[in-house]
Amino acid sequence: MSITRRILLKTSAAGGALAAFAAGFSDTARHLVGGARAADRPDDAISGNAPPPEFRVDPATGTVTPTPGQTVANVACLGCTTLCGVRVRVDTAANRVLRVAGNPYSPLSTDPFLPYATPIRESFASLTRLGERGLQGRSTACGRGNAALEMLTSPFRVTTPLKRVGPRGSGRWEPIAFDRLVEEIAEGGDLFGEGPVDGLRGLRDLKTPIDPAAPELGPQVNRVALLSSVNDGREPFVRRFFNQALGTINVVGHGAYCGGAYRSGSGAAFGDAKKMPHAKPDLRNAEFVLFIGTAPSNAGNPFKRQAMLLARGRTDGVLNYVVVDPVLTNADNRATADRANWVPIRPGTDGALVMGMMRWMFENGRIDTRYLSQPNGAAAEAAGEAGWCNATHLVIVQKGHPREGRMLRASDMGWVTLDEKERYGDRDAFVVLAADGAPVAHDAHGGAAALFHDGALETPDGALAVKTALTLLRDETMRLELSGYADVCGVPADVIAGLAREFTAHGKKAAANAHGGMMAGNGFYNAFGVVTLNTLIGNLNHKGGTIFGGGRFPDEQDGPRYKLASFPGQVKPSGIAISRPVPYERSGEFRAARAAGRPYPAKAPWYPNAPQLTTEYLTSGLVDGYPYGLKALFLWNSNPVYGIPGVRAAAEAALRDPATLPLIVAIDPFINESSALADYIVPDTVLYETWGWAAPWAGVPTKTTTARWPVVEARTERLPGGRHVQMETFLIALAMRLGLPGFGPDAIEDTEGNRHPLERPEDWYLRGGANVAWLGKQPVPDATDEDIALSGVARLLPALKATLKDGEWRKVAFVLARGGRYQDDGEGFAGDVATHRFKDPLLVYNEAVGTARSSITGRRWTGTATWMEPVFADGTPVRRVHTPEDWPFQVVSAKSVLVSAYTIAADRLRHLHPENPVGINADDARRLGIATGDRIRIATPGGSATATAIVRHGVMPGVLAVEHGFGHREYGARPHVIGGTRQPDVPEIGAGINLNDLGIADPTRAGASVWVDPIAGSAVRQGIPARLERLAVPA
Amino acid sequence: MDTNIVEVINVTREVAWLPWAVQYFFLIGLSVGGVLLSLPGYAFAREEWRATGRVALLVALTCGLAAPVALLSDLHQPGRFWHFYVVFRPTSWMWWGSLIIPFYVAGLLVYAWTCLREELREHGAVDSRLAPLYRLAAAGGGRNDALIRAAGLVALAGAAAVVLYTGAEVAVVRARPLWNTPFLPVQFALTALAGAAGLVLILNRFAGADRAVEVRVNRVLAATLAAVMAVGGLWLALGLSGIEPTHAEALGSVVGSEAWRVTAVWAVAATAVPFAIALARPSGTGLLTGLIAVHSAWMFRWTVFIGGQSVPKTGAGFYEYALPAGPDGLLGIAGTAGLWLFLLLVITAIVPTPRRPASGPVRAAPAAGRAVAAAE
Amino acid sequence: MDRSRRNFCLGAGAAAVGAAALAAPPADAAAARKGGDPANRWAMVVDVRKCVGCQACTVACIMENAVPANSFRTIVSTYEVTEGGRAGTAMLPRLCNHCEDAPCLPVCPTGATFQRRDGIVVVDNTVCVGCGYCVQACPYDARFINHETRTADKCTFCVHRVDAGLLPACVETCVGGARIFGDLNDPGSTVSRLVRTQAPKVLKPGQGTDPRVFYIGLDPNLEGKVEGTPTLWRPSARPHAHAPAAKEHA
Ligand SMILES: Nc1nc2c(c(=O)[nH]1)N[C@H]1C(S)=C(S)[C@@H](COP(=O)(O)OP(=O)(O)OC[C@H]3O[C@@H](n4cnc5c(=O)[nH]c(N)nc54)[C@H](O)[C@@H]3O)O[C@H]1N2
Ligand SMILES: Nc1nc2c(c(=O)[nH]1)N[C@H]1C(S)=C(S)[C@@H](COP(=O)(O)OP(=O)(O)OC[C@H]3O[C@@H](n4cnc5c(=O)[nH]c(N)nc54)[C@H](O)[C@@H]3O)O[C@H]1N2
Ligand code: SF4
Ligand code: SF4
Ligand code: SF4
Ligand code: SF4
Ligand code: SF4
Ligand SMILES: [Mo]
Repeated sequence: MSITRRILLKTSAAGGALAAFAAGFSDTARHLVGGARAADRPDDAISGNAPPPEFRVDPATGTVTPTPGQTVANVACLGCTTLCGVRVRVDTAANRVLRVAGNPYSPLSTDPFLPYATPIRESFASLTRLGERGLQGRSTACGRGNAALEMLTSPFRVTTPLKRVGPRGSGRWEPIAFDRLVEEIAEGGDLFGEGPVDGLRGLRDLKTPIDPAAPELGPQVNRVALLSSVNDGREPFVRRFFNQALGTINVVGHGAYCGGAYRSGSGAAFGDAKKMPHAKPDLRNAEFVLFIGTAPSNAGNPFKRQAMLLARGRTDGVLNYVVVDPVLTNADNRATADRANWVPIRPGTDGALVMGMMRWMFENGRIDTRYLSQPNGAAAEAAGEAGWCNATHLVIVQKGHPREGRMLRASDMGWVTLDEKERYGDRDAFVVLAADGAPVAHDAHGGAAALFHDGALETPDGALAVKTALTLLRDETMRLELSGYADVCGVPADVIAGLAREFTAHGKKAAANAHGGMMAGNGFYNAFGVVTLNTLIGNLNHKGGTIFGGGRFPDEQDGPRYKLASFPGQVKPSGIAISRPVPYERSGEFRAARAAGRPYPAKAPWYPNAPQLTTEYLTSGLVDGYPYGLKALFLWNSNPVYGIPGVRAAAEAALRDPATLPLIVAIDPFINESSALADYIVPDTVLYETWGWAAPWAGVPTKTTTARWPVVEARTERLPGGRHVQMETFLIALAMRLGLPGFGPDAIEDTEGNRHPLERPEDWYLRGGANVAWLGKQPVPDATDEDIALSGVARLLPALKATLKDGEWRKVAFVLARGGRYQDDGEGFAGDVATHRFKDPLLVYNEAVGTARSSITGRRWTGTATWMEPVFADGTPVRRVHTPEDWPFQVVSAKSVLVSAYTIAADRLRHLHPENPVGINADDARRLGIATGDRIRIATPGGSATATAIVRHGVMPGVLAVEHGFGHREYGARPHVIGGTRQPDVPEIGAGINLNDLGIADPTRAGASVWVDPIAGSAVRQGIPARLERLAVPA
Repeated sequence: MDTNIVEVINVTREVAWLPWAVQYFFLIGLSVGGVLLSLPGYAFAREEWRATGRVALLVALTCGLAAPVALLSDLHQPGRFWHFYVVFRPTSWMWWGSLIIPFYVAGLLVYAWTCLREELREHGAVDSRLAPLYRLAAAGGGRNDALIRAAGLVALAGAAAVVLYTGAEVAVVRARPLWNTPFLPVQFALTALAGAAGLVLILNRFAGADRAVEVRVNRVLAATLAAVMAVGGLWLALGLSGIEPTHAEALGSVVGSEAWRVTAVWAVAATAVPFAIALARPSGTGLLTGLIAVHSAWMFRWTVFIGGQSVPKTGAGFYEYALPAGPDGLLGIAGTAGLWLFLLLVITAIVPTPRRPASGPVRAAPAAGRAVAAAE
Repeated sequence: MDRSRRNFCLGAGAAAVGAAALAAPPADAAAARKGGDPANRWAMVVDVRKCVGCQACTVACIMENAVPANSFRTIVSTYEVTEGGRAGTAMLPRLCNHCEDAPCLPVCPTGATFQRRDGIVVVDNTVCVGCGYCVQACPYDARFINHETRTADKCTFCVHRVDAGLLPACVETCVGGARIFGDLNDPGSTVSRLVRTQAPKVLKPGQGTDPRVFYIGLDPNLEGKVEGTPTLWRPSARPHAHAPAAKEHA
C-alpha cells in the first residue's frame, strides 16, 4: 500500500468517523441549543403545559373566581349510549374543549346530585376542596368520556359533504357543495354515471302501493329507510322528517343488535313487544343483585351510575351481587370478594340457569305468594304491594281448542257480551279463581286469587282445561331436574340452588338484571326467564328491587309551549315495515300460501313479538327484496356493518351494488364501516357541538332530561347565515326543497296558535327546551345573569332571544345552564315505593307470545319463560347443525371497559389498551399449547380471523372471549382519499379483531340472513360455534 | 407462564438512561482501565511495562475524551449541563460525578502529557513544519519520571474517584435490586480493567503486534477475568442462597426469563472463553481475547443498564426494549464509536505509536511511517 | 410557581456558563422543602374496593396535565388474580406516592426535584437536566422522561388545582369514588379519618419510602413487584412521535 493511499485511507477513515459522530450527536447538538429556547419550554415550571384551572375557590371564604377565557358548560357526553350529563371545560378563544368531567346536577354522573335550584356558582363550589364537598358530590366522566373530546379534532372527521368517486367502497371521495348535495338527493338523476337514480322527490309516493297484490305493505315511499342507533336527543327531529314529513314507515334503531333479546324478553314480561319496557335494579338500595349477561361497571347502561352505585354499595353499603357471565370482567372486584362474585356459565344457557332457580323456588316455597296472588292493581295496592302480575289469571290449555293458549276471558264465561271489536280487548276481564275455587273476573276480585290451578273449568261452552299462568310457568320449570339444568349451563346444581336461596332471602330488596349476554340464539326466553325471576319475588317498583325509572321531560310533545309532535299535513306512515314486526298470518303472502295449502313456511321469518329490526333490513330486505326492496337507505349515527355479527358476509355485496340499492346516504361525522359504502356522506356535528334533549334508558328513579347544546362552534363546513352542515341543516334543506310539511317558515305552532319557523336547528331544540322548562309541577325559574355567564350559555343568548319569547328564554337558559332538567334527588321514592311506577300487570304468561306461531314452522311458542336451546329460524338446534365435535368452542362478546365501537378514534384510549386479545381458558390453552401473546386463528362457520391470545382463568372453558370495539376496517384504519388528499395512515386503529366478522348465517333460511333469535329477531353474538388453532410463531 | 396473576392493563416505561449511558460507562471504564494499565510503565517507570503502558495510555486518552460527550448526550437537556455546577447536592452521586469527571479528564490529560512529553520533544527535534508546535507542546522538557509519577498519582486518584462514583451511582439505586449490590462497583471496575486490557490487546495488534505486550496483557486479562468470575459467582451464590433479600430479589426478577438466561450463558462464555485462551495461549491470541474482552465489558454494561431498566419495578415480566435506529440508539452508538475512532486517529497522528524493536529506546520515525504504524 | 427561577434559567441558559455564577445556587434545595403551605400535608387514600378500572383517572390526568402521547402519570393496573381456583379482577390505581422519604429526591443532581412544604414532590422543569437519575431511583416506576419538555415528569398531585382550592383531576372524576384526596394535617379530613380507622397499606413498605398514597383493600399479591403473566401492552411503534396524525391545534 502506497503511503499516499494510506494517508488517504486514514483521512477518509477519520472523515467517516467524524461523520458518524456528527450524525450520532446531531440530536444532542440540537438540544444543546434547543433546551435554552423559550419555545421548548412548558407554560409553568411545575405544572408544565397544564392549562390554568377552570376556576379557583378560596378554601376559607368559598369565593369562586372563574378563569378568564375558560367556561364550564353542562351538556351531554356521547362516548357511549349512556349520554351522561357532563361538564365541559372550554378554551373559548381557541374554540377548544380542554377537559370533560361530570355535571353535578346529573344523576348519570353524580350521586347524590345537586338540587336543581342550585345556582351555577354554587355548583362550581360543590366540586372543590371546599369543606371536602368535591369528594362527597364528586361528578365524573368515565375513561371514554374523558377521552371522547378527541373526536372533535380527529383528523378523520368529515367536515364537508362528500360524494363518492368510483365504485362504492373505493375509498375515494369528492367534496360536494351543500346545495348541490341537497339537489342531487332530492331530485336524483344519473348521479354517478351509472344510470338513473331516484331522488326523494320521486320516491315520496304516498299513494301507489308497493305491490298492488299486497296493499298491506304500504306505499312506495316505504322504499326509503333510515337506520339509526340510539336516541341521542335528536331522534324526534329525524323521525319528524322521515316518518311524519316524508312518510316512510321504515325508521329503525339499533335495538336488534344492541340488547334486543333482553328488551324483547323484558317486553314479554311487561306486556309490550314494541316499546319493550325494562326495569333496572335499584342499586342504591338493593341488598342482592344477580346480573345475568350484563356486566355493570364493565359496560352497561347507565354505565357510570351503575358503576358508582355498585362500587359504593359493595364497599360502604349493603349490596352483595353475583355476575353470571362466561367471562370475568371489571364487574368483579377481588378486594370485595365476599360481596362481588363471578359465576361462569356456558354461553346461551341462561334459560337453564334461571329455570333451575325457579324450580328450586317453587319447590322450596320461595316465591312471593302475596304479590303473585293479587289479581289486579287495586287488590295489590290494598295488600301493600307496589305492583301486580297475571300469575293467577287462567289460560286455556285445552288441546285443539281454537282459543288454546289464550287467556280465559269474562266473555268466554258469558259474564259480558262485547262486540267483535271489543271482545278480548281491555274491557274483557281475565278470569281468576277465588279462594273457594269459584271463577271470578280478575278486576272484580278483592283479595288474593288462586295461584295454582290445573284442571277443567265449567264454561258456557262446556268444560275447558285451564291453568293459571303461574301453573304454566311451574310446569315449564319442572321439565328438567336441577341437575339437568346444571348439566346444560355448567353451573353446579348447588350453586343454582344457592343463587335461588340468596335471591329469595332479601324480600323485595333483590333484583335480577340482564342485557348483552342475552344476545344468543335463544336470548328471548333467557331474558324472559331473568325478568320472571323478578316477577316471582314481586320486586318491581319497590325500593331495592327493580325500578322502571323516572322517565324524562319530553321535548317533542305537543305542548306545554309548542306543538312539536304534530303539524298540519303530517303523514301517518302505513304499511308493513321491512322487518315484518307483525303476524305473518296477516299478510297476503300467508293468505295465498294457505289457499295453496301450505301456509308455512313464510319466505323469511316474521317477528310479531319484536320491534323493527335492522338485522332484517340488511338481509332479507336489502338482499332479497323481501317483503319489498329498498330504493334509498339513510344511515345516521349508526354502523350496522360493523355492529351486526355476520352482516358483512350477508350484505356487503348488495350494499356495494347500486343496482340492488340505488342510493345510500350516510349522515355521520366519520367514515365508518357502513358509511364507507355510501354514495354521499353528510358530515354531522359531534358531541359538544350538537343540540338535543336526551334521556337515560332506565335506572334513574327521578325524571331526567339531559340537554345537548353547542358549547363550541361546529367544525363542519359553515353555510351562509352562520349555519353549519349537520344532520338538521341537511334535513331542513332537503325538506324545504321537496316542499315537505313540517319544515319551513310556519312549521311550528305554539299552544296559543301562533306559527313559528323551523329553519334552523335552534328553532326546534330551543322550542323543545321551552316544553321541557314548562313541564313538571311548575315551570323552572328564570336563569340569572350570573348563571348565564358562568355556564357559557351566554354563547347562545342571541339565539335564545331571537327564537324564544320574552318570558321563555330565561327559563330555557336555566335548563341549558344546568345541562338539562332534573327532578330532585329523593323524589324518586315515596316510602318504599317508586314514584314513577309501572302500573300495568307483569305477565307471567304472555298470551301474544303463547299464541304466536313461528312463521317458518307454524308451531306455537311457549307463553312463559322456558328453557330452549339456541336454535335457527326453523327451530333446529344450532349445535345439531354446527356440532360441538366440529366446532368445539363458542365465541362470545363482552364490551371493552374502555372503548365503545367508535371511540377507537380517541388515541388516548388506544394508547392505554391498543388491541383486544382474545381470552381463552387456561385449561383449553394448555391443551392446545397456547400461551398469552400467541397468535391464534379462530374459525366459525361464518369466517375466520387471526388474533392474539390471552390465557385466563376468568373465561369459561370452551369459550373464546372477544372484547368488542376493535378490529376496525375503517374509521381511520384505511386512509380514504378526499378530493385528492389522503387521510393520515394510522393502522393502529385497525388493531385487534371484530367478532362480527365471525358471525354466521342461518342455514335453515332461504336467502340472505344472519343468525337471529327466532322471536326477538336480535342478532346473535353470544355462543357462536368456533374452532381454534395456534398459529406458527410469527417471524 | 404464571397464569395465576394476569396483567390485563399496565403501563410500560421507556428507559430513561439511553444507550448513551452504556457508551459512557463503557468508555469511562475503559479509560480508567487504561490509566491503571499505563501506571506501571509510566508512573512507576517499570520499563518492561512501558510498551504496554504506551498502548494503555492511548486507550485511556481516547476513551476518556469520548466518554463525557456520550454522557452529555444522555442528558435530555444537554444544554443545561451547567445546572450541575450551580448547586450543592452532596446527596447525589451524579452530582459528585459532575465534579469528578472534569477532575479526572483534566488529570488524565496532564498525566498523558507528562508521559508523552518525551515523544513530543523528539517530534520537535525532527525537521518539519510542525516541529515548533511539538516543541511548544513539550514545553521545553522531556521525560520527567517524578512529574509523571505525580501526575500519575493524580490520575489514579481521579480514576479511583470515577470507579467509586460510577459504581456507587448505580449501586445505591435501591429501587433496582439488580443494581443495588456492593458487588456492582467491583464488577464495573474489574470488567473495565478487562475491557481496557482487551482494547490494549487489539490496538497492540494494529500497532506493531508486540508479542511481549500481548503476553503480558493477556495474563492481566486472565487474572481480571478470573476475578470477574469470582465476583459474579459470589453474587449468584448470594442470590441463590437467599441469604440476602436484595440479591435474591434481583435474581428472582430475571431468572424466569429466557432472554436473561441466554444473556447469562453468553456472559459466562464471554468471560470464560477469553480467560481460558489467555491463560492457555497468551501469545498470538491477543486480537481474539481482546475483542471478546471488549465485547464482554460492553455487554456487561448494556445488560446492567438497558437490561436492568427493562425490569419493571412494579409490573410483571419485562418492558420491551427495541434499539431505535436514531441518535438515541444505533446511530448514537455508532456516533460514539466514530468519535472514539476519530480521536484515536487524531491522537495517533499527532503522537504516532513509536516503532519499537523488542525493547530498545524509543526512536523518532518519519512522520508518514508513523502514521502507517497505527493504521496497519 | 417560582417564576424568578425560571426566568433566571431562560436568561442564563443561552449565555455562557459563567453567567450561572450570578445565580444564587439553590444549595438549600438539597434537603429543605420549599413552596406550598406547611400547614397542609396532602395525601391520597385509594380504596381499591371501589375502583371499577374505568381509567377515568388515567385519561383525566392526561387531559388535565397535557401528558404526552403514550405516557402516563397514573394508570390503573388491572389484573386477573386466581387463588384457590377462584379468579377475580383486581384493580390497582398507581401514581406517585409523594413519599415522605422520597428516594427520588436525594439523587437529583440539580435540585430540580424537590418536596414542597405540604409534602407534594414536584419537578422544576426549568431546572431539570433530564438526567433520568430520579426515574431510576423511584421504586414505583412513577416517573418518566416527558418527551415534550425533555425533563422528568410525574404526578404533581395536580398542585395547580390544589393550590386553586380544587381537587386533583383524577380524584374529581373517579367514577367509583376510589380516590380520596385531602389533608393529613387536618384530623377531620376524610383521608385522616380513613388512615386512622382503616389501617390502609402502602406499596413496597420495605423500601422505607413512607408513601402518602394509601390503599384500602390492597391485595398482598400486588403490593410489591407483581409476578405473573405480563400485559400485552406495548408502547406504540413510534413512542416518541406525537399523536399519530397531528391534531389540529387551534
Ligand atoms: N364500556 C362500555 N360501556 C358501555 C358501552 C360500550 O361500548 N363500552 N356501550 C353501552 C351500550 S350500547 C350497551 S347496550 C350496554 C351493554 O352493557 P352490557 O349488556 O352489560 O354489556 P355486553 O358486553 O353487551 O354484555 C354483557 C356481558 O354478557 C356476557 N355474556 C356473553 N354471552 C353470555 C351468555 O351467554 N350468558 C351470560 N350470562 N352472559 C353472557 C359478556 O361476557 C358480557 O360481559 O353498555 C353500554 N355501556
Ligand atoms: N360483537 C359485538 N357487536 C356489537 C356489540 C358487542 O358488544 N359485540 N354491541 C352492540 C351494541 S350494544 C350496540 S348499541 C351496537 C352499536 O352499533 P351502532 O348503533 O350501529 O353504533 P356505533 O357502532 O356505536 O356507531 C355509531 C356511529 O355513529 C357515529 N357518530 C358518533 N357521534 C355521532 C354524532 O354526533 N352524529 C352522527 N350523525 N353520528 C355520530 C359514529 O361515527 C359511528 O360511526 O353495536 C352492537 N354490536
Ligand atoms: S358512560 Fe358513556 S356517556 Fe357517560 S361519560 Fe362515559 S362514555 Fe360518556
Ligand atoms: S413515588 Fe417515586 S417519584 Fe413519587 S415521591 Fe416516591 S420516589 Fe419520588
Ligand atoms: S431528571 Fe431532572 S429531576 Fe430527575 S434527577 Fe435528573 S435533574 Fe433531577
Ligand atoms: S393527582 Fe393530578 S397529576 Fe397526579 S395522577 Fe392525579 S390527575 Fe395526574
Ligand atoms: S377513576 Fe376511580 S374507579 Fe375509575 S379506574 Fe380510576 S380509580 Fe378506579
Ligand atoms: Mo347497546
